[in-house]
Order: sequence, then structure tokens, then C-alpha cells
Amino acid sequence: MTESDTATDPAATACPKCGTPVPAGARFCEGCGAQVDAGGTTPPAAAPPADPVDAATDDLGDAPISAPTRRPADALPDPAPAGRRPCASCGGEVGPDLYCTECGTKAPSERDHFTEQPAAWVAGVCDKGVRKHRNEDAMALLAGAEAGSRAVLVVLDGVSNSVDSDVASLAGARAAREVLRMPLPAGMGTPESRAAAVGRVLAEAAKAANTAIVAVTDPDTPNPASATLTLAVLEGTRVDVANIGDSRTYWLPDKGPGVQLTVDDSIAQEQIATGVAKEVAETGQYAHAITKWLGRDAPDISPSLGTLEVTEPGWLLACSDGLWNYASEPSALQDQIRAAGTTDPLALAQKLVDFANAAGGHDNITASLARIGPVSPPPPPPPSATTAAGAPPPPPVQNAPTTPTDEGAHD
Amino acid sequence: MAEFTTAVYQNEFLPDGGTDVNAIVTITCKGAGTAGQAGSGDAGEIVIVDTSGSMGPATMAAAKDAAQAALEEIVDGTWFAVIAGADRAMLAYPPVSSGPGMVRMDARTRQEGQAAIARFVGSGGTAMSTWLDLAGQLFASVPEVTQRHALLLTDGENRERPGRLDDAVNRATGYFQCDCRGAGTDWQVAEVRRIATALLGTVDIIPRPDVMREQFQEIMRTAMSRGVADAKLRVWTPQGAQVLFVRQVAPTLEDLTDRRTVVNPLTGEYPTGAWADEARDYHVAVRVPAKAIGQEQLAARVQLALGSDVVTQGLVKATWSGNAELTTRIDQQVAHYTGQAELAQMIQEGLAAKAAGDEAAATTKLGRAVQLAAETGNAEATTKLRKVVEVENEADGTVRLKRAVDRADEMALDTASTKTTRIRKEQPASQAPTAPPPTPADATPPAPAGDSA
Repeated sequence: MTESDTATDPAATACPKCGTPVPAGARFCEGCGAQVDAGGTTPPAAAPPADPVDAATDDLGDAPISAPTRRPADALPDPAPAGRRPCASCGGEVGPDLYCTECGTKAPSERDHFTEQPAAWVAGVCDKGVRKHRNEDAMALLAGAEAGSRAVLVVLDGVSNSVDSDVASLAGARAAREVLRMPLPAGMGTPESRAAAVGRVLAEAAKAANTAIVAVTDPDTPNPASATLTLAVLEGTRVDVANIGDSRTYWLPDKGPGVQLTVDDSIAQEQIATGVAKEVAETGQYAHAITKWLGRDAPDISPSLGTLEVTEPGWLLACSDGLWNYASEPSALQDQIRAAGTTDPLALAQKLVDFANAAGGHDNITASLARIGPVSPPPPPPPSATTAAGAPPPPPVQNAPTTPTDEGAHD
Repeated sequence: MAEFTTAVYQNEFLPDGGTDVNAIVTITCKGAGTAGQAGSGDAGEIVIVDTSGSMGPATMAAAKDAAQAALEEIVDGTWFAVIAGADRAMLAYPPVSSGPGMVRMDARTRQEGQAAIARFVGSGGTAMSTWLDLAGQLFASVPEVTQRHALLLTDGENRERPGRLDDAVNRATGYFQCDCRGAGTDWQVAEVRRIATALLGTVDIIPRPDVMREQFQEIMRTAMSRGVADAKLRVWTPQGAQVLFVRQVAPTLEDLTDRRTVVNPLTGEYPTGAWADEARDYHVAVRVPAKAIGQEQLAARVQLALGSDVVTQGLVKATWSGNAELTTRIDQQVAHYTGQAELAQMIQEGLAAKAAGDEAAATTKLGRAVQLAAETGNAEATTKLRKVVEVENEADGTVRLKRAVDRADEMALDTASTKTTRIRKEQPASQAPTAPPPTPADATPPAPAGDSA
């Protein structure tokens, strides 16, 4: 403000047209209406331009009309990139040509196997599997640093008979994550209002994923990329899920029965709804035919929603069918978790992927996990877990400071 | 700025327990520009003419004319000098006895250089070691010159104590490049080839004086078109692997295996000299420890480096497979150049046996050469072989040695033995699109068939 003389005598500026004294910061003369700051002089610092204290707001005193509930500071940061892993064969550095610089072993592409761990209690592994030639699964995670604060798990499974579905699924996963970076809205306070507001955000996330998928699809292809979507948002004790297709979200407590939070949009699910046994339907001819998906040719991209309060230690799992094909029942997944014997989410995700690969790895495999409860490594499993299975479960203790054990967790 | 691209031709599939990987790596240079104009240093040319007493009047007249024509081809601004070689080497031009022993080419110095050449008189013997040593000293007297090339013409055998020439060649190796030409038939192909090979140059016979001018012009034109001063071929191999050999196989055959210098424990460097707009093929053979079926690994990274900058890279791979259909196939390029390498060996060994009077060995080896030349489509070798042997059956390699053979034809066959032909290339299958090459392009358009060197 080099040319401004208002700073030296703020109260005594006169209107250049009629001479009426003009208060500092005023833009027009009270006397004649002429513009007084025609030169674009900004008001001096003494008169803050903040809108809330503008004229005619004095009735409310200093109180703001509203405060933002979704502050930028609440936005969760992206997980740090995992970086290129050292050579699996000799531990040497992998060169830019994707071969080890020491032993020449070919490194798997980062797209074929990647991990994300946005916080110590949230992690996931996305893997090509054994049989498929590329990884069309995708995953995008977010988490607050404090355990149990807030986590976002997004899993997409690209449909393998469509073009570039590996590119599309990753773009979709990241687009959905972008929508969920901020805390979910609280609505007007009532549960119904919250549910509606949350539902709208989750539908937006699905829409964003769909937009991203369509954006990377060649407009001329007769076989546009398509993908399933499952996403879970954990905020404190509340889990909200949204689903399109046959990827799934499970709640798998350390003790007591687990639950599948999503309902597949699949022929198998429709058969189950009409009374066909689950194991029959899921292994039948149309087990993997989905009735809803994301992509250019998707007829309906509104996700089915679900919600759950979680108060006990356990795992929130969002996964693709590459995992649940080998462990569809929550109890079967809980068995694998128990067998893994770890509360480190990255280690467990890797063990679940290893399990699916060992079982055949016919499809791409994604396992993303958020740990509710202690994350410290558990003691070694009791020597006779099977004999302990019949014992009555100890009373559930919320936020138990003790490390959970496998004992009696079986139902 | 020169651009380099690489293409790899190989069969990457190895059978269970297989260890040896062969690949032909084609490196192509485009936009090389002109020698000494890239900004990395000046170019220097030295013309060395044999002025020993053995040079007959006609040969001497042709040599003078050819050397003068060579100066015409040297681009203005290039540093140059002219050496008259006999028992000892004389600096014919520029006329200095101390300080820089080369001058920049311009209209005046060209004329003065040509006048100096016109004064050449044949007398004395042949001590090529002194010629090479003087050339080295002249290059060293001008520090700006970083791209050093000489053209050497001789008509006779070296007359020096054994070992002296080899020592001089060793001193020059890696310092300057030298193309060598022999006039007439009184010089030793093996001797001159040793100089040319060590100094990354070519060797050929000038059977008649009237073709000398043309050859000198061609050599100098090629030298001037080499805008890339000095490039090295780098070969990385994995831990535990062994480089069996590294050969340049086109346009000429040069075994580089023993010329490796260590870059790091896994990487060796081989000299390739200056580059013009051209393509060169290298045959790289690597032995890697066998892996399980289904495993894939890199057997070699073949790179071209300018100083410490790698400007292009090709990947040689190994994939172990249980599919015999894949593993028994021999890559066409590898087969072709393996045949060409054997062809050169058979010609050189056959002529040596003939010279030693071992007619049986000469007949067998030259017969095999005839067979290989036909199989690999080397028409030039076939033509030259037919001047030395009567071919009874080309496919079987049955031949008879000719009784009366023009010595020049024999020498021409010898000097041309390392020239190879190319065959049509398909798009290399071994370059995976996922491997990011350090250069924008990673493929070479198919070379025309029969592109003789």
C-alpha cells in the first residue's frame, strides 16, 4: 500500500467529489454516493474485510452463523507410496527396467502386487493371484493416525472380459477415495437424517468411481471397462458400507460370530434369495455373473447400503471375490484370521492373500483391513485351540486393554 | 544430437537346465552429425602414407593423388597432419618441429598439405611402429582434439624387430582409430589386420592404383560423418553369470571379448569407437545359472554409453520352459551370425593352411567356407572364394584348390573375410513393452535383406 495515504490519517479522508468526510474503509461517499476508492486502494489493516463482521450482522454479535463441520484439517492424507520393493530373489535393487540390478530376476509389476498402509491399524494387499495374467483388482485406503479414529476401505474388482479394466478399476478406486477423504456428514442430528446424508455421500463415491472408469475407457470399444465396488467407512464405532457387484465387506470380531455387511448383486445371490442353498449358488454356473456393476454400460450405479455399530475388537475386511471364493462364510474367514495369528493388518492381509493363492489363486485377490482394538502382536496361539473351542466365551470386554486371544472365540 | 536405439533378437526360451543365452543386439545411431561438431571436442585426422623405397612409381603417384583427395574430404576446421612413413616417420605437414603438430583445415592449409604430399619421394624401409607413435604424439600435441582418426597406407611388410609394432599398436589402442589399406600384394594381411582391429578400423586391399583415390575419399568421408566421438558397449550380467563372448558381427566381424574393461563387478565395457549414422550388430553370449521352469530372468543388459551416460539399452532375457517347441528354436539372426563368424574363421584358417602348404586342411576349410557363404547368403564371400577354389558342390562344400591363383584375389578374400551380410529382421519379439527403455524408441525398422557391408 505504498500510495495509500489513508494509513496516515484513517478517519479524515474526504470525498474527492463533494468534500464530505469519509470513514476509513468506506467505498462510497455517504454524502454524494461517489466511489471513493476508485484507485483500488485496499482498506487499511484496521478494517478487516471478513464477511461475518460486515455491516448489518451485529444482531448476532461475534458468533458465526455457521461453523464448518467438514474442516480441511479433517481430510485424511493419502497413504505414503510403498516404493519399489527390493528383489524378491536376492534382496537387490530393482532397476527401472523392472529387473533386479544384481541377479536379473524379473520383479512383479507394481500393478500386479501392491500394498497400502495409511496407518498402523489399516492396511491392504492387492495381488494378481496365480492364474490371471494381470491384476484387475484395485484398492484405495485412507486412515487417521489414531487407531479406531477413521478409516476408508475401497475395493474394486475389474471385470476381466472388458478392455483395460485394470486401469479403470484403479482409477475408480482412487476417485471413490477422493470423495471419502472428508468425514461423513452428520445430517440434521436424527438417525434418519444422518443415514440419508451418508447415503448421499456414498452414492457420490460410487458415482465418482463410475465417472473415472468411464473416463479411462476407450469411447469406441464395444467392451467397455467395468468393475464391482465395495467400500467401507469406519468412524469411531460406526461402519457404513456401500456395494455394487460381488466384492464384499465383512465385520469379523475376534470373538463371536462375524457378519457379511454387503449383499452381492449377483445371480448367485438372487438364487439364494429364492431359496437355493448358498454353497450351491456360489459354486454354480452363474456364481460370478454380477447383476450390477460400474462402467459405461452400467444400467444402475446406485449402491446398496449398510451400517453397523462395532464395539468389540475385530477386523473390518473389504475384499474381492478372489479371497471370498475360498472363504465365503464369515466363520471361514475368522478361521483364517485366527490361523494367521497376528493383529498387524498388513501381515494379516498378506496372509489372507497367501491363503487364497495357496488355495488356487484363480482370480485377483484383494484384502484390505482395519483393526478395531489392540494392534500389538498377539501371544502365540494356545497349543490346543480345538479343545478350547467348546469352552464358553469370556464376557466381552469393551476396549479391553488386554491382548485378545484365540481362546473360545470359535462359535 | 545423436539418437540411439536398440533392438534385441533372440530366443529367450531355455530348456530345463539350459544355461547359455545368445542374442543379437542391433544398435542404431541417427543424427550423428559431423565429426568434431558435437561440442564435446575437436576432430583430428592424420594421413599416413608409406614412402618406403618399395613404392613403385605408379603406386606412389596414385598414393599422392589419393592422399590429396583425402585432404579434400576433411571438413574445414578439423585438425590434420600428414605423415610420410619409411624407416622412420616424418611429419610432412604442418612444417613444425615443436608445439602443436597439427593445424586446422582451411583453404590455405589444405593447399599447403597437398603441396607437401606432392613432394613425397620413395626411399628407405618400413617401420610402422614409428608411424603409429608419431601419429600418437601429434594427436597428443593438440589437447582440443578428442576424436582421433588416422588413415594408413602401406605397400609392404613391416621390417622391424618382432614385438616393436605390437608395442606401438598397444600404445595407440584406445587412443586413436586407424583405417588401414594395403597397396599391391607385398604386404601382410594378418599384420595390417592386427593394427586395424586393435585401432577399431577397417582393413582392405587396394589391388590397383586406379582405385586408390576412391577408397581414400570414401574412408575420409566416413570418418567425417562420425559425429559421435567415442562410444562404449556395456554389458551387464547378473550375479553368478559369465560372459562367453561379445562380438561385433555387422558390418564387420570383430571379437571384443578380450577387450573388456571393468565398470563394476557386474558390468564390463567394450570399445566401439566413433559412430556415424549407422547400425551395428553385436552377438552377446552369456551363461547364467539354470533356474526352474517358468522362471524368467534378465541375462544381460546391453547398453551403449557415451562417457558415463547410457544412451540406449537392450534387454537379453532367459525364460526356462518345458515346451520343446519353444526351446529348440534357434533365432534366425543368431544362426545367421554364428554362420558368418564360422565363415570368417574358415576363410582365414583355410588361407593360412594353403600358405603353409597344407592342401588337405586348406581344401576342407575353404570347402566349409563355400558351404557357409552359400547358406548365409554372403554373395561377396562366395564370389571371392570362387576366385581361389573350384567349387564342385556348393551345398556339400566340396572344392578343389585352384592351381594358378592371383595373389590379390587371395588377399582380397582374406581382407573381406570379416565383412558380414545382414538378413531381414522381423520386429524383435524379445522387447517387452513394459520395460521402459532409456531412449524414446526401442525398435529398429527391418533392415533390407542383403545389406552388404
